[in-house]
Amino acid sequence: MAPAHIRAQIAQPGEVLADGTSGPIEFSFGGRRFRIHAVLSRWCEAGGWWNRISDGNFHPDDQARAVWKVEAAPIGTLQTFELERDDLTGAWIIKAI
Amino acid sequence: MSFIHLHTASAFSLKYGTTQPADLVERASQLEAPALALTDRDGLLGAIRFTKACLKYGIAPIIGVNLAIDLQNDLQKSRIADDKKLPRLTLIAGSDGGWRDLVRLMSSLNLSTGAPVLTLDFLERFSQYTQNIYVLHGLDSPIAPAIAAHRNDSALAIFNKTRTFFKAHAIECVSHLAKGDGPGSITHAGRSLIFARDHDIDAVITNAVRMRGPEDAPVADILDCARQLVPLHPRHIKRTNAEAYLKSTPAMHALADEIARAGGERNARALLFTTRAWAEQTLLSPTRDIGLGSIHLPEAHVVGAENAQQMRALLRQRSEAKINWRYSGAQAVKSARERLDDELATVATLGYESYFLTVADIADMARERGIRVSARGSGAGSLICHLLGISGVDPLAHGLLMERFCSPLRRALPDIDIDVESHRRLEIYDLVFKKYGDPRWDIPGNQSRCATVASFDTYRTRQSIRDAGAALGLPAAEINLIAKSPYGLREKNVKTPLAKMVITMARRLEGLPRHLSMHPCAIVLSDGGLLDRVPLQLNASGYPMVEFDKDDVEDIGLLKLDILGVRMQSSISYALTEISRVHKEEIDIDAISLDDPHTYELIQSTKTIGIFQIESPGQRELVGKLEPQTFTDLIIDISLFRPGPVKSDMISPFLKSRHGWSARKIIHPDLHKILRDTEGVVVFHEQVISIIATMTHCSLAHADEMRRALGDREGQQRVCDWFYPAATEHGYSPEVINEVWEVLRAFASFGFCKAHAAAFAFPTYQSAWLKTHYPAAFLAGVLTHDPGMYPKRLILDEVRQMGIAIAPLDVNYSDQSYRVEVREDGTQSIRIALSTINGISAEEIKNIISARPYKDLADFYYRSGASQPIIESLILTGAFDRLHALTQDGLLNRRDLLLHLSDLIKGPTMSSALRSQMTLGFDAPALESSGLPDLVSSEIVAHEVQRLGMDITHHMLEFYSRFLNSIGAIKSSDLLSVRSASTVLVAGVRASIQTPPVRSGKRVIFLTLNDGYGCSDATFFSDIATEYLSTIYTSEIVLLRGVTRRTGARGISIRATGIWDLRAAYEKWNSQQSTLAI
Repeated sequence: MAPAHIRAQIAQPGEVLADGTSGPIEFSFGGRRFRIHAVLSRWCEAGGWWNRISDGNFHPDDQARAVWKVEAAPIGTLQTFELERDDLTGAWIIKAI
Repeated sequence: MSFIHLHTASAFSLKYGTTQPADLVERASQLEAPALALTDRDGLLGAIRFTKACLKYGIAPIIGVNLAIDLQNDLQKSRIADDKKLPRLTLIAGSDGGWRDLVRLMSSLNLSTGAPVLTLDFLERFSQYTQNIYVLHGLDSPIAPAIAAHRNDSALAIFNKTRTFFKAHAIECVSHLAKGDGPGSITHAGRSLIFARDHDIDAVITNAVRMRGPEDAPVADILDCARQLVPLHPRHIKRTNAEAYLKSTPAMHALADEIARAGGERNARALLFTTRAWAEQTLLSPTRDIGLGSIHLPEAHVVGAENAQQMRALLRQRSEAKINWRYSGAQAVKSARERLDDELATVATLGYESYFLTVADIADMARERGIRVSARGSGAGSLICHLLGISGVDPLAHGLLMERFCSPLRRALPDIDIDVESHRRLEIYDLVFKKYGDPRWDIPGNQSRCATVASFDTYRTRQSIRDAGAALGLPAAEINLIAKSPYGLREKNVKTPLAKMVITMARRLEGLPRHLSMHPCAIVLSDGGLLDRVPLQLNASGYPMVEFDKDDVEDIGLLKLDILGVRMQSSISYALTEISRVHKEEIDIDAISLDDPHTYELIQSTKTIGIFQIESPGQRELVGKLEPQTFTDLIIDISLFRPGPVKSDMISPFLKSRHGWSARKIIHPDLHKILRDTEGVVVFHEQVISIIATMTHCSLAHADEMRRALGDREGQQRVCDWFYPAATEHGYSPEVINEVWEVLRAFASFGFCKAHAAAFAFPTYQSAWLKTHYPAAFLAGVLTHDPGMYPKRLILDEVRQMGIAIAPLDVNYSDQSYRVEVREDGTQSIRIALSTINGISAEEIKNIISARPYKDLADFYYRSGASQPIIESLILTGAFDRLHALTQDGLLNRRDLLLHLSDLIKGPTMSSALRSQMTLGFDAPALESSGLPDLVSSEIVAHEVQRLGMDITHHMLEFYSRFLNSIGAIKSSDLLSVRSASTVLVAGVRASIQTPPVRSGKRVIFLTLNDGYGCSDATFFSDIATEYLSTIYTSEIVLLRGVTRRTGARGISIRATGIWDLRAAYEKWNSQQSTLAI
């Protein structure tokens, strides 16, 4: 398990599972496997190519980056429960399914 | 169903769009789109080429314009508005008449407000033009920021301001997948959709396209910077990603789904359905709406007839009336009549009567004002043009064919170009606009029949390097160095990655239009519906200008007339007035005999400097070899002196046969008459046409079609398949046909239009005739109007060579222009003009002349109104020498006059108004000798060069004569006596440099030097050129080493092997001399 202070990392090949049309589904981060539950927003970024000229290898086509902002949780940490309230007494009963 | 893009900017959104319209259409066709919209910013510049491309790819065009709108109604502000601040709407022409409305709207906007910015006032005033226009409110629209700020109420209020105008409105939902929730994000697109639904407004999806593909994004960035004149920085770049491109149908459908969901809809069906419906309502017909392929000439009543019938009669009547004036002798008149009947029948078939009458009308208007007019181009092949006075060349005498110019088989409008005196060209514009135009632009529905034509300045190498360099932050000095490096040396100066990137990006800019300017000479004439078909704007000179270029206006059938200002015509006209003033002789230069032997002698002598067309070094060489003896020879000479014939060496066989060194070769006796004048060599288009017609018995018109087809490989095959059987049928043997075919195939593409050459040869002959018989008047005209390639100092040298004296500047005698003076002994001289002085204004010249005569410098100072630097220039160039008798008694000199001037200036200060009122009795400071030595001749020449731009009293080379003699340099006049292939040294002042484009990419430089005895012509081939490049271009006075080559009886040229700055060489020699002396 990776240390808790890791904020960003480069994914190894195969670590991100994606669907060709609708984007990423699962990924690994900090040694754990996450499942995406909701896409909050998505966008594309590009530009700044002129800052990368000095190394001399740059070709004048801009590298585009697609970004997904998602809510995800480690696989297995998502559980299903039934929460039941007694209308008369107001008491709750929680059942793990 | 395929997606249709409704919002697309091409490169004709100047410095914004990255892609040529045709390339966008090609991509749309690859994406299988049935239609495509072009909605360029601020104008309809690309509309015609876009429509043509649509026709080619089978796509339906939709055309609109993206315009800034100022809802504050503050006109002052909107005029200076820049594109960052004002919101924009996209206006699209509706089917059936919307194009007319859009065109009218654009013209009114341009002509009545001066800037393409919509205001509510304007829309109110011209609301009739908004009836069939559809409007998209998109990313840049006034409502977009309000929607982004969740202010739907204020968005509605803004939307309602324009709601009463236009046929329909739609909210444009655009997702460029931008980050956040501003315009361009999915969120914003979704909210726009909700806004539309809430207020019952149509909603469509577009991609607000400005690129063909994402790979063009860096080009868009450079253009953004070039437009705003800023360096590349995220702050200046509009885009945050590269999504604004022509996306495919699946990609657009996926975006639509996403937007629909963000807008709370289950699917994109409604959004895509409305988008489709909008596209269907705005499809245009390339022929019916845009008018491709139609022809619109001025109506009958404009040219003085009531209907087409009368117009036909009028043309015949006017042409026939001149037959007896142009032709004499029964046979000549008879054949002219026959030819005229044929031509009139062709014109009638095509319905071009109005065309000829309009051009003739303009030529007449010019001539009434005393402006010289002469036709150029294939129009000289028409007898009608000759009879109507449009062209001075007799087409019958020179075998010129009408069919080359205008034929019933070709539906394109023929081109007539007319040459006029350059300094009076705009007078003709004014006459034309007065008669055919209507400047009441603020009245809706006004009619005008003429306009100037635009031309698109495109990015060329230098400009693109400058713009890319500035955007990328390359230092200005480095940009200059790269931009100015001649081709081939550029790579040497490019070392850093940044500079390499500049070059890479500059290449991608090349060819994009960057600026709209006025075509230098074209105007279009049409019927009263002109303003319904073309958008106009006012150009820098204040003339209405069509926003299309010359090819565009031809495609929509407008009569294009090129009115070219030709300085030689001004010079000829000037010479004629001088002859009339000095010799009291009136010469009708258009009626002089074309076989004056003295004129041909002058041409053969190669002393042709100043003469139209044949003064360049190459032409002097060619006339020396060809030795023209007739007007036809001159036509041949002009036709041969072009890259094609020179490269394919058509000249040698011609010259060999001409001088009798080889037998003239004519393939078949039937062709003898056609090829006789050109020694059996095919030189002219007219000959190709005649050969085809003779051997196949087809019409000349058909033969011309075949000649045109020979231009490309495919056409050649077609003509070949037709020609062989057709010629065989008329009894020609396979050998003859084979041989003729080879000639046709090889030379058709190099041939030249004889009518064109003849039209050029006419002023060539006229100027040669004038130089022969009235050299002083002619050269005074050349000096005044500067028609040629050589600097004035060389023309002055030519004046001396012709035995004419040069009279110095004189405040009491010099005129505004160069005048001929006849001395008491009958010899002639040319007086240097006041306008030669650097920095003198037209106003000053006028005042100096009107206050004449002056009795001394003080008098001049008080009354002429000339400024101090100008008076100093006048003193130093000798304009007071005569008045003060400086050269005679030797007591006073120019230095004394200068001191006297400063005394005068130090005297009582007065306004120039007071100065001019001074009585002559005013006590001026006295002029006395200071005892200072006079200027020496080298100082005098230095002042002449500095203040007049040329050396007059002494040739600059005189000061080096001792040095030149000691090293054995040869005078240009002695070069002819040098044997061929010997090494020589020549010196001179650079007179001209030419670097003709060479296909091989190898550089050849032609340098002409003048040494006071004439000219020497040198050629630098690529290796030598590269080695000595900086000396060739930067040194004014040079020493040149080379090997001579005889080019003809009177021609010699030098192949350069080295060149040095003469001053530097002299200094070196001088210091060696003095060391030796010690």
